[in-house]
Amino acid sequence: MDTAEIGQGIIILAFLAALSSVVVAGIGARTGSRRLISITRIAVISTAALYSLALATAVFAFLTRDFSLKIVSEHVDNSLPAAYALSALYADKAGSVLLWGWLISLFSAVVAFRKHEYDNSILPHTLCILAVIQLFFLAMVTFVVNVFEKNPTPVAEGLGLNPLLQNVAMLVHPPILYISFAAVSVVFAIVIAALVTHTPSAQWVRWVRRWTIFGWCMLGLGNLIGMWWSYNELGWGGYWAWDPVENAGLMPWLLITAFVHSISGQRQRNYLQGWSLVLAIFTFEFTLLIPFITHGGIESPLHGFYGSQFPPYILAAILVTLAGSLGLLYARRKDFPKDERSFSLISREGAFLATDIILVLLTAIVLIGTVLPRIVELFGGTRIVIDRSFFDQVAGPIMLLLVFFMGVCPLLGWARTSWQSVRRNLLFSLLATLLVVVIVLIIGGGKWYLVAATVCCFPFFVILLEWFRGAKARHQSRKENYLRAPLALLSSNRPRYGGFLVHIGIILIALGIVVSSFYAVENTAMLDIGQSMKVGEYDLTYKELIFKGSQTKVSAIATLSVSRQGRLIGDMYPENNYWFNYMDTFAEAAVRTTPSEDLFVSLVWTSFDQQDKSVTIRALVNPLVVWIWVGGGFLLLGGVVAFSHQDRRESQRKDR
Amino acid sequence: MRKRYLIGGGVLAVAVSLLVYASLSGAVSYYLTVSELLDRGSELYGERVRVAGKVVNDSIEWDADALELRFVITEGGDDLLVVYGGARPSGLNDDSNILVEGELRSDNTFQGSTIILKCPSKYEPQE
Repeated sequence: MDTAEIGQGIIILAFLAALSSVVVAGIGARTGSRRLISITRIAVISTAALYSLALATAVFAFLTRDFSLKIVSEHVDNSLPAAYALSALYADKAGSVLLWGWLISLFSAVVAFRKHEYDNSILPHTLCILAVIQLFFLAMVTFVVNVFEKNPTPVAEGLGLNPLLQNVAMLVHPPILYISFAAVSVVFAIVIAALVTHTPSAQWVRWVRRWTIFGWCMLGLGNLIGMWWSYNELGWGGYWAWDPVENAGLMPWLLITAFVHSISGQRQRNYLQGWSLVLAIFTFEFTLLIPFITHGGIESPLHGFYGSQFPPYILAAILVTLAGSLGLLYARRKDFPKDERSFSLISREGAFLATDIILVLLTAIVLIGTVLPRIVELFGGTRIVIDRSFFDQVAGPIMLLLVFFMGVCPLLGWARTSWQSVRRNLLFSLLATLLVVVIVLIIGGGKWYLVAATVCCFPFFVILLEWFRGAKARHQSRKENYLRAPLALLSSNRPRYGGFLVHIGIILIALGIVVSSFYAVENTAMLDIGQSMKVGEYDLTYKELIFKGSQTKVSAIATLSVSRQGRLIGDMYPENNYWFNYMDTFAEAAVRTTPSEDLFVSLVWTSFDQQDKSVTIRALVNPLVVWIWVGGGFLLLGGVVAFSHQDRRESQRKDR
Repeated sequence: MRKRYLIGGGVLAVAVSLLVYASLSGAVSYYLTVSELLDRGSELYGERVRVAGKVVNDSIEWDADALELRFVITEGGDDLLVVYGGARPSGLNDDSNILVEGELRSDNTFQGSTIILKCPSKYEPQE
C-alpha cells in the first residue's frame, strides 16, 4: 500500500466515524439516553482521532516530499525548506479544507471531553451539528476532490511553493484563521442546539462565551497577520487594500465583534436574545463565505481556494444552513421573553446595541462593495470594479465614529445612567482630549492628525480614568498600592478589563491607520551607484549592488546608506529575488521601524546584469505604522485576559 | 417608544444608503479586456477603466530619466499601447498577464495610473 491508498482509507474511515456520530448523536439527542450520549462521545473522539491520522498522513507526505501525490507535487519541490513544505499543505485548496475540517473535529472532541460543562440535553445536539459540519468537510475532500489523488505518471520534481508564501507570516496566517473558523462553528452548533432544546439564554451564553472570545481573538489576529504580510512582502508599502480577500476576513470579524458585545450584554441583562442569535448565525455563514469569495478573484490566486471546485457546494451549504437556522429561529420566537424593564439607549446595553447595529451596517457596506461587481457581472454581463475610495469614504468615517463612541461605553451603567456618576470622567476626558488637540495644533499637525487625536484620545482617557478610579477605590479600601491595584482590578474582573485592553488595541490601530493613510510620503527613483534620492526627511544613497546565488534563486541586494536630516543612521538592504522555477522576480522590502515612522524601501527593479547596476527604488515614509502591530498585541492580550475568566457557575458544575 | 427606534433606524438606513450610493457612483469603473475596450472606443475616452491583457514580447520600453514606462498589451487580436508614469514593477515581464488602471486617450493609447500584476498562474497547474 502506498501513501495515497493509506490516506484515502483513513479519510473514508473518518467519514464513517463522522456519519456514525451524526446518527448516534441524533438518536441520543431525541431520546436523551445517557448510554447513547456516552457512545456519541466515543464516536466524536474517534472521528477526531481518525481525522488527525489523515492529516498526519498528508503532513508526512509533504515533509517526505512524496511526489506520487498530486497535492504534494503541485506545491512542493526538493529545494523547499521543511517548514514551508508543511505550510504548502494549506496552500492547496483541498489541503485547506482538510485542515479546517480537522480543527472542527478536534474542537468537537474538546466539547465531548468537557461534557461536564454542558447540559445533558444540549451536548448531543451540539455534537450532532458539529458532526454534520465535519461530514460536509470530509465529503468535500473525499468526493468533490480527492486529497490523496495520485499523479498518473511519476513526477521527479514538484512545482514548488509560490515565493510570496515563503515567509513566517504565511506559515501561521492560514492555520490561525482556520482555528477561528472552527471555533465559530462550535459557537454556531451550541447556539442552534440551544434553540432546538429551548435552552434559556442565561445558560447558552455561558457555554459559548469562551469559544466566542477564542474565535474572535484568532480571527482578529489572523487578519492582522495578513496585513503585516501584505505590508512586508508585497512591496507596495501598504497593509490594507479593501481587496475581496481582505474583506472576506474582515466581515466575520465585524460580526463576531458584534456578537461578543451582545452576549456580554446578555450576561447582565436578558434582552435582545434573537438579535444575538442572528449575529452568531451570520458570523458562521460569513466564515463559510470566505472560500467562496477567495476562490476566484484574479488578484487572489495566492489564497488556498483559488480556482477550486468547492464553491457550488459551499454556496449550497450556506443557503441550507442559513434557511434552516433562520427558520428555526422564527419557530422559536416565543422562547424569547420580553424584558419587562425599560430599555434605554443611554445605558450600557443600549450602547452595546448601538455598537452592534453599527458593526452590522459596516459589514453590509463591505459586503456590498465586495460582491456587487460579481452580481453585476452575473446579471448584466458587464464587468465592473469598485475602487477602494468607496470603502474609504463610506466605511472609514463610520469606523472613526465607532472608535470615538467606544469612549462613552465604559461610562454607562446597566439599565440606566445617572449624569452624576459620569460627569467627572466625561468632562475630564474631553478636556484632556482638547488639550492634546491644542498641542497638535500648536505643533502644526495637519487636519487628520487632529481627527486622529480627537478620535483616539477621548476613549483612551476614559479607559485610563475608569481604570484609575477603580484602582483608587481599591487603594482606599484594601490598602493596595497604585502599582498593584490596577493589576488586581484586572484580575478580579477579567471580562471588563480584558475588554479595556482590547479597546486600547483598537485605538492604537485606528491611530496608526488614520495617520499612515493620510501622511505617508512616497518617492520612486532610478539610481546608479553613488546617486541619492530623498523621501521625507530621509536621504538614501545607493552604494552597491551584490548578487547572491542559491539553488532556487538569485538575490540582488542593494546597499543604501540612510541619513535623516543630514545625520547618518545606517544602511538598509532591500532585495529583489529572481526565482528560477517561476522565472519571475519578487521584491523583498527593507523596513526600518521607529515609534514615530517606518522607512520602507523596496528594490522595485533591476536588470540582474553584472554590468548594469542601475536600480529602481521605491521608498515610503509611513508614519505610526508600528502602532497597528502594537495594537494587535493589545488585542491578543485583552482576548487572553477575557478568555481566562470562567463564569463561576461554570466552574461549580465541574465539582458535580 | 418602539416608534422612536423605528424612526431612528429608518433615518440611519436612509443616510447610510445615500452615502453608499453617492460614493459608489464615483468609485465604480469598467473592467474590460483590450478588445472590449477598443470596441467601445470613443465612448470611454477620459473615463477610468481597468483593462486586462498580456504583455507583448519585447514591447517594454523603460525611460529611466523620465520615469516613463511604455509597453503593449494584447488580447483577442487587439493591441493597446500603455503609457505609465512610474517605476517598472518587478514582475512586469514579457508575456505577463496584467491589469492596468487608467484611461483611454483619444489617440487610442492608454494612460495607465496603476499596474496590477495578475499573479503568475504557474503555481497552479493549468486545468
